[in-house]
Amino acid sequence: MDSRKTLSEHAIYNYYGAKPEGEIQSREIKKSPSARVDKARQLYFETKSSASVEFPYWYTRRWEELEGEIPIVRRAEALKTGFEHISPAIFPGELLVMGKTHHLRGSYPMPWLSEAFFMAQEDEMYKDALEAGKVSADKVTTMGQGGGNVTQSVGNVISLAGKFGLRKEEMPILLHIANKWFNKSVDDVGHKYEQLVPGYKEKEEIMRAVICMFDSGYTLPQGREVMNYYYPLQYGIEGIKNICKEKLKQVAGYPDMDRLYFYKAVYIMLEGLQSWINNHAEETKLMASLEEDENNKSEYLEIAERLGWLANNPPRTFHDALQLVWIFHIAVLNEDAISGLSPGRLGQVLYPFWKRDMDKGLLTSERSLELLECMRMKFTELDCFASMGVVGGVLSGNTFNNLCIGGLTKDGESSANELEMLILESAMTCDTPQPTLSLLYDEKLPEEFLLKGVECTKIGTGYPAWVNNRVAIEFLLNNFNHEGLDLEEARAWSIGGCLETSAGSWMPLELEGVIHYIPGGSAPATSVGVHFISLPKVLEAVLFNGLDKRTGRRVYSSHGYKLDSYDEVWNAFKEYFSLTVEVLTLTNNIQHDVWGKISPSIINSMLKPDCLEKGKDISNKGSRYNRTFNVEICGGVNLVNSLASIKKNVFEEKNFSMATLKTVILENFGYISASETGSFSLTEQMKTTNYKTWLKIHKQCLDAPKYGNDNKYVDNIFKEWQDWFSKMCENYTSLYDEPLYSCQISVSTHGPMGAVTLATADGRLSGTTFADGSVSAYPGTDKNGPYALFSSATCYNHASSQNSQLNLKIHPSVIQGREGAFKFLEMIKSYLRRGGFHVQFNIVDSRMLKDAQINPDKHRGLMVRVAGFTQYWVELGKQIQDEVISRTEYAEF
Amino acid sequence: MNHIDCKYYLATDVFKGICKRTKDNINADEPACSDFEKATKCKHCIHFSTKDEFLGLCKDKATAYPDMQAVTCKDFSWN
Repeated sequence: MDSRKTLSEHAIYNYYGAKPEGEIQSREIKKSPSARVDKARQLYFETKSSASVEFPYWYTRRWEELEGEIPIVRRAEALKTGFEHISPAIFPGELLVMGKTHHLRGSYPMPWLSEAFFMAQEDEMYKDALEAGKVSADKVTTMGQGGGNVTQSVGNVISLAGKFGLRKEEMPILLHIANKWFNKSVDDVGHKYEQLVPGYKEKEEIMRAVICMFDSGYTLPQGREVMNYYYPLQYGIEGIKNICKEKLKQVAGYPDMDRLYFYKAVYIMLEGLQSWINNHAEETKLMASLEEDENNKSEYLEIAERLGWLANNPPRTFHDALQLVWIFHIAVLNEDAISGLSPGRLGQVLYPFWKRDMDKGLLTSERSLELLECMRMKFTELDCFASMGVVGGVLSGNTFNNLCIGGLTKDGESSANELEMLILESAMTCDTPQPTLSLLYDEKLPEEFLLKGVECTKIGTGYPAWVNNRVAIEFLLNNFNHEGLDLEEARAWSIGGCLETSAGSWMPLELEGVIHYIPGGSAPATSVGVHFISLPKVLEAVLFNGLDKRTGRRVYSSHGYKLDSYDEVWNAFKEYFSLTVEVLTLTNNIQHDVWGKISPSIINSMLKPDCLEKGKDISNKGSRYNRTFNVEICGGVNLVNSLASIKKNVFEEKNFSMATLKTVILENFGYISASETGSFSLTEQMKTTNYKTWLKIHKQCLDAPKYGNDNKYVDNIFKEWQDWFSKMCENYTSLYDEPLYSCQISVSTHGPMGAVTLATADGRLSGTTFADGSVSAYPGTDKNGPYALFSSATCYNHASSQNSQLNLKIHPSVIQGREGAFKFLEMIKSYLRRGGFHVQFNIVDSRMLKDAQINPDKHRGLMVRVAGFTQYWVELGKQIQDEVISRTEYAEF
Repeated sequence: MNHIDCKYYLATDVFKGICKRTKDNINADEPACSDFEKATKCKHCIHFSTKDEFLGLCKDKATAYPDMQAVTCKDFSWN
């Protein structure tokens, strides 16, 4: 252990082209929001993620009172009671108001979904509550790293899931109500029934080995989907209640009685939302009464009037419409644990209101920009309460509200509009993580619009991501045509969550006698089904004949292959992978069925075409399109690089035997484990004293062909994997009796999944993070520049999968100025024209990231692009930070 | 009493908040000023009875907790 040397002693990161030297290069352009929003952002920076028990308390109390009631009506009453009792809070200076709870970054546990993870800590949390002393806010603000995360219990605040603070006086009641859900939550009931699936035992071992990251039915049962705001914008809340009243009359007593209960549930829910909004209107009046400044007082009174109006009526103005959109967005988020609830093509949804106000002189561009900045703050304040594994290991604290711009209209023309230009501008002046932006690239989009997108990407926000409209449409037509989706409808698509292609519909919004077809989501949650299978870990199990060598547990039965040919390795991999998908599909189908019975979606169902028309909620296939379950994977590039290394080194050149490969994997090529060094990228690992024993073999593994260099040897393996994967998903059937499809995003799972995986045959070391995304090269291995990477990435048809994901890191100097912008846009176009689905960028000097890791307090506002999302650097875990630093930085192209 | 117990306390997070009257930033667990007025909480309600430090009963029936905000509770009545 005496000769601890890093693998790359001189490089703290990987780069292509001339290594940047001199001063760290900062962003090219820096814009600022309005004074009002700047103040709001400062408040946000100083605010900690906070959980409360108010909503779950009232939900549970009402639920218990209604034992014997029809389940969906019982749930509606419980939700209504929860909404009615949210303490209203109006923060000074807000133009858009209301939040999930009374805290600025508020959220709450939902024990009806899962109570297990905080019940497991019951004793510890009780102890924390009893031992709590006098709180000091200063103690927390000096934590530094972690931004808004409450990473440990302090004073009167208890840390939950390493992120959320809960007042100690609320802990006993939380545990009291959690106990009431024991054996009744979706988690517990689902667990009871999933054990009936043959192969359940293997499923448990797959989860223990972290071959699969987590179950979806009780963790994040909704999300990765696109909101549809049509009904509230067209009818207002009272108008939707009237629709329900009419429908109730039509269906009462007739067959298919579930419709009766659904309409009743929606009606009840809307009453709850009305109380919630009116409570905030009253609070705003109180704030006005305490205000001495006449302008502020008048602003409060305007807000109160607006809320009072929107509690019943459709919006009159753009400002009204934006406020109502926000209310329904958080209403959906409050009914379930949800990540990735995307506002979709909001600039096109709101355009009719905006254009009318602008034409009438009721609104200016400056005021529009300020409102959009306020909207950005509201989305950025969102938190999703979940366990540490989910909120940290998968989400990195993000909520993935993807706002899409561009794309095509119903009749195939450019959808880009002036409001979307302002949305881009607001994303630069108020550069916060939410909502993230995706530009739906199409050849028909105007150059001015694309250049505005480039201007935004260049400043280093990580957005907009650039997404291929035509590839998405091809995917949708392939997968939803049997449900009636045609080309016109396919154009209404948008991205749900970070990068999930989601089917949409055109809804006829009538405004002053003119019909405007606005796009909105019309499919339920996606990225439900099989959540993140670690491909390198499956290959590891193949090499060790079904054993997880890290834990010593048997995951799979022996595969029976001698592994004396490449084909045998590949066949064994396919068998283990198929078994994994099969058992996870069946168990997750049960979990989601239980979710639909115990905790059905009511508000989101009401919003989604055609639930309100059919009288069926999402879990009863009320949505227009229902083929949404998928199989998500992680670590694909490390799998392919490893297969290439095995093929070349073991079977073709016979540089070493399979037995030797297994030994060097167990020996971690003579390096200390990442968990011991605390560093999770390949560039900074430390050697043991016997590393020379394995040096040659390690070099042979590192020198084997690597994906991302336009190398046919490895790209053919990549293509074979992709083609097989997309096809095999169709062998499995979702709860909604539809075949699954493939989904290729890593989110943050490449960190924790890498952490439990031994060294791999591509030379990656044990415990280090996998390559991100799905078509990003492994850091430092793409040596031939971005265009070679593009060739590798497009060696298969991207429309065969729900998505693909490519991250690039570019040094700011490469794309400086107007000439740089044109060069940058041409590079993006060249990738998308080749059929690439998605590309996104970190425009950053890697040395700045390294500095931010050492001095987080100096970089509170620094954001980076991780996978399909942008996040504050200080709120990311170290596994992901190390991976982002080590990504290849392009200093020329 | 502390800021967190005051009617004019606007919590931004679990540690701190803003005074609705003065707009000053204040810490939840620091002593309130002379303008303190009791917040509408279960512990001040006529229907609430205490069981222990952290739990009690609402109308002798439902378990409740003393520090719960009751500003939206239609049955709240000052004790």
